[in-house]
Amino acid sequence: MATDSYGGGYSRTSYGAGGGEDAGGFVYGGSQGGSQSGAGKGYGDDTLRPVTIKQVIEAEQAYPDAPFRIDGLEVTQVTFVGMVRAISPQTTNVTFRLDDGTGIIEVKQWLDADKQDDAGKEPFALDSYVRVWGRLKSFNNKRHVGAHVIKSVTDYNEVQYHLLEATYCHLFFTKGNPAGADGGANGGGDSMFVDGGAGAGGGDVPMNDGLRQVSARARQVYQWLSNTEGGNEGIHANQIAQEMKISIGEVLKCGEELTSAGVTYTTVDDETFAILDY
Amino acid sequence: MESISTPRISSQLIDSYVGQNVMVVGKVQQLRGDTAVIDAEGQITANLNRDAHLVQGNAAQIIGKVLPDLSIKVMSSVDLGNNVDFKVAQAVVDATHQCRDLFVFDASKNMMMG
Repeated sequence: MATDSYGGGYSRTSYGAGGGEDAGGFVYGGSQGGSQSGAGKGYGDDTLRPVTIKQVIEAEQAYPDAPFRIDGLEVTQVTFVGMVRAISPQTTNVTFRLDDGTGIIEVKQWLDADKQDDAGKEPFALDSYVRVWGRLKSFNNKRHVGAHVIKSVTDYNEVQYHLLEATYCHLFFTKGNPAGADGGANGGGDSMFVDGGAGAGGGDVPMNDGLRQVSARARQVYQWLSNTEGGNEGIHANQIAQEMKISIGEVLKCGEELTSAGVTYTTVDDETFAILDY
Repeated sequence: MESISTPRISSQLIDSYVGQNVMVVGKVQQLRGDTAVIDAEGQITANLNRDAHLVQGNAAQIIGKVLPDLSIKVMSSVDLGNNVDFKVAQAVVDATHQCRDLFVFDASKNMMMG
């Protein structure tokens, strides 16, 4: 599939580059969050994921107002296509009901008071396809998508392509890279470590081989570890769980998986992991 | 937000969808009155509604209910022009059925949440 090159693009952005991972501890809950416009956190680790409407409807929330997750991964921005089933102009927004054959969802486009003039001309015809870029929102227990941009789909192949791309991303995150895809497709994050491993205890097995046999979630933990400065002491499972926002049990399971695959090792205790050739 | 799906199918799968609403993308082979014959990995007869504007030779997307005689009672139809790659359409049908999780709400399961 031609979407292979997208693989790297969806990996999480480096935390380390953001100016010290320690800061992460208070950004989410602390006073800094309040100063950011409603989002509650920075845009540094935003992703844009192609999804089906069914995935949007089934996205999980650990608790009200928690970030939405699809396939266990936090999603911030999503893009999808759908047929316009209904348009209802409101005072502050225009609400669309979009149907892509997998489900129906409400999409709200907020009107910009400064651009009152273009609010009147909604160019979307009923039963035509549009593409939406937006964020998942929950209001009064009702889920909708807040659209940044809605555009008409002029070529029906885009609809097909989108559904295939959403499938590809789902499979990428749940099953990992296709077996055929080699180191190159694994993204820069992994290839960094291919050369360094020669002298390490694992022998001559390239790191990519070790990573290939682990689960997608374990690979994310590895990716996170490799993007985080942990010093020589490694990073405790509690911290990994907190910052990746997954359960501690899951982190420990992934840690075990990665350690037995020979790509990480435990340091000061059994719950502190470091990358083997960092 | 509604957990209702109209799965994308081809004529190869139609017999397992009797009584259900489905979506078919295919080429309009014949138009006769309010009946159309659509090719999607085989022929499907579609009973059109009054406001259908399909064009013979063009691609079309129809949504409707599969009747016991394996024809489709169309509720919505869209002319898609002549630039639709039917191989890709078939790939989407395949993906739909290989990854049902992404595409199809099964009526038996209650998957709604708050």
